[in-house]
Amino acid sequence: MDMAWSALGLSLKVAGWATALNLLLGVGVGFLLARARFPGRDLLDSLLTLPMVMPPTVLGYYLLVVLGRRGWLGSWLQESFGINLIFTWQGAVIAATIVAFPLVFKPARAAFEAVDGQLEQAARVLGVAEIGIFFRVTLPLAWRGILAGVLLAFARALGEFGATLMIAGSIPGKTQTLSVAVYEAVQAGQDEVASTLVLVTSAVCIAVLMAAGRLAPGRIANR
Amino acid sequence: MPLRFDKWLLAAAMALFGASVWAAELTVSAAASLTDAFREIARGYEAQHPGARVLLNFGASGALLQQIAKGAPVDVFASADQETMDQAQQQDLIAERRDFTRNALVLILPADSRLAPGALGDLAQDGVKRIAIGNPAVAPIGRYARRALENAKLWTAVESKIIHAQNVRQALDYVARSEVDAGFVFATDAAVMKDKVKVAFKVAPDVPMRYPIARIAASPNAGEAKRFVAYVLSPAGQAVLARHGFLQP
Amino acid sequence: MELEIDIRKTLRSGKRSFHLDVRLRSSGQRIVIYGPSGSGKSLTLKAVAGLMRPDSGRIRLGERILFDSRAGIDLAPQARQVAYLFQDYALFPHLTVRQNIGFGLAAGWLNPRRDMRHEAVDYWLGAFHLEHLAHQFPDELSGGQRQRTALARALASRPQALLLDEPFAALDSALRARMRAELDALQRRLGVPMILITHDEDDVAAFGEHVIGLRGGQVVAEPAACQAVEMAD
Repeated sequence: MDMAWSALGLSLKVAGWATALNLLLGVGVGFLLARARFPGRDLLDSLLTLPMVMPPTVLGYYLLVVLGRRGWLGSWLQESFGINLIFTWQGAVIAATIVAFPLVFKPARAAFEAVDGQLEQAARVLGVAEIGIFFRVTLPLAWRGILAGVLLAFARALGEFGATLMIAGSIPGKTQTLSVAVYEAVQAGQDEVASTLVLVTSAVCIAVLMAAGRLAPGRIANR
Repeated sequence: MPLRFDKWLLAAAMALFGASVWAAELTVSAAASLTDAFREIARGYEAQHPGARVLLNFGASGALLQQIAKGAPVDVFASADQETMDQAQQQDLIAERRDFTRNALVLILPADSRLAPGALGDLAQDGVKRIAIGNPAVAPIGRYARRALENAKLWTAVESKIIHAQNVRQALDYVARSEVDAGFVFATDAAVMKDKVKVAFKVAPDVPMRYPIARIAASPNAGEAKRFVAYVLSPAGQAVLARHGFLQP
Repeated sequence: MELEIDIRKTLRSGKRSFHLDVRLRSSGQRIVIYGPSGSGKSLTLKAVAGLMRPDSGRIRLGERILFDSRAGIDLAPQARQVAYLFQDYALFPHLTVRQNIGFGLAAGWLNPRRDMRHEAVDYWLGAFHLEHLAHQFPDELSGGQRQRTALARALASRPQALLLDEPFAALDSALRARMRAELDALQRRLGVPMILITHDEDDVAAFGEHVIGLRGGQVVAEPAACQAVEMAD
């Protein structure tokens, strides 16, 4: 039972950080791709969507090769800062972030593209600076679409298994998230533990979905 | 028109399913450390028995047992330790078990490691930060390693450095990649990646590490299963195992 | 205040291209740019507001040079201090009438609060009889109310010129006549120079102190206009 709570806490921590990172990155990238016009924009969009269609174990393998002690990024981190991301919860956050990233940036891009450009023009003539326009006009009109993506991303990060297992391993209390704990419990024949973990995970997912339902009102944003 | 369609359907069905009914297909679940040896044994068996097909399923012995216990259609089970087979026996899953080979436990390091532990006690040093073993809950290698450390009264000292791998081959991979400083694997596993890992020392086990093989009681291919087990025990099968570094049972 | 426009712009869409070449100068308080749809009126007005960047040329409003391609001047729309009334008003759907009107008065990253109190906002709410609608959202307003809100929003930041893009096109004829009269009175009272683009003759009649005809992206002499002004250079 203790193990279930620590796995839950870890899952929430990893998924929370991953979603927060994706919110920043996804909104930023979504906005950029929605507004900037440059050759190769669609190619970039496809590349950034790749983690969504790639098998998690393939992604996990790439991450292992890049972030591992022999990888170009991993060895640099090791030499410059003494940081090793493999077998750490931070590594799990990276895996979960990458896997769930397309789920935020694609709806964000669509939401930004759906904002009437004329409203932004009106704001410009009224004297508001570009940053002000983003936070006062664009974002308030796009947040509903972004939020839908963010919730999906949170659920995806919570359930991340394949890439997490390869990068972070399964260290109870440190990197053993709920999905990994279920896998191990089943492998070890610990059915009661597995059932408990599955129930806990399901309860969390239902809570997230209900919160999502509460947050999506009927009329236009920001009432 | 309808009649012809039925004939097509029948022909397609026979092509799909008939093939598997007529060929003798055998599902063998074997411990991860047997991967290379059993692949070769399977090829030898198929050569000797034309029409037979051996489907191999590798993993940590404990995980394989769970699959069988939950009803997976396995015909033969080869585990890396007695304990897993004992559990299988307790659950009335097997018939006729025999020991067919033996292995040794070694501590390995990445090939370019600058550490040089000579005995288990050296693992408690600061230089060793991460040690990979198969998860003791499911992998015999993990249990052997843990018992060895406990017997040497070192378990509490190194427990915080232990990284659990899913099975012995993953532990081997972690060492090969230098993600860990050291790892416990079977001698036969170390040989598989001898260009990427080096053996630091052998660990004397408290009991000989004998591998048992058994026919699954619920298997519908009893005859074929018996023939396969016999092949593993035969001089041909034993020669393959010896070539991969396994020891006499 | 004198307005001077001398701009060129080429737009391409597939195989078709449109060349805008507008040269005019006027010192009137009320300028009407009159022409059929597709003649380039909207483009010209947007160029003055800074919402469209000409390929080359110069735009001067009073003493200030808003755009000069040779000197490398191109003031951002934020800096031009003009007001632009869009054809469909472009009211912010997520803000109340009060917040819309006060939008340009609040600097920074946050929108004005719903209960914001500002002299200019309250003044314009009163001037346009919108007090009772202050807490409504744009989708709850009628066409005429929306136009007044958009006008109030434009005027609240004390612009140096008022640019109107077919302001009455979306209204029915009865409302149109009333709104023309209101705008007429308002403009006289405020004394803010006004540039209005339209394809409606009645607008020309009501506001055409100086009328410039536009057709196919070029200034033409309009026989029905009061005065056609062309810059001879």
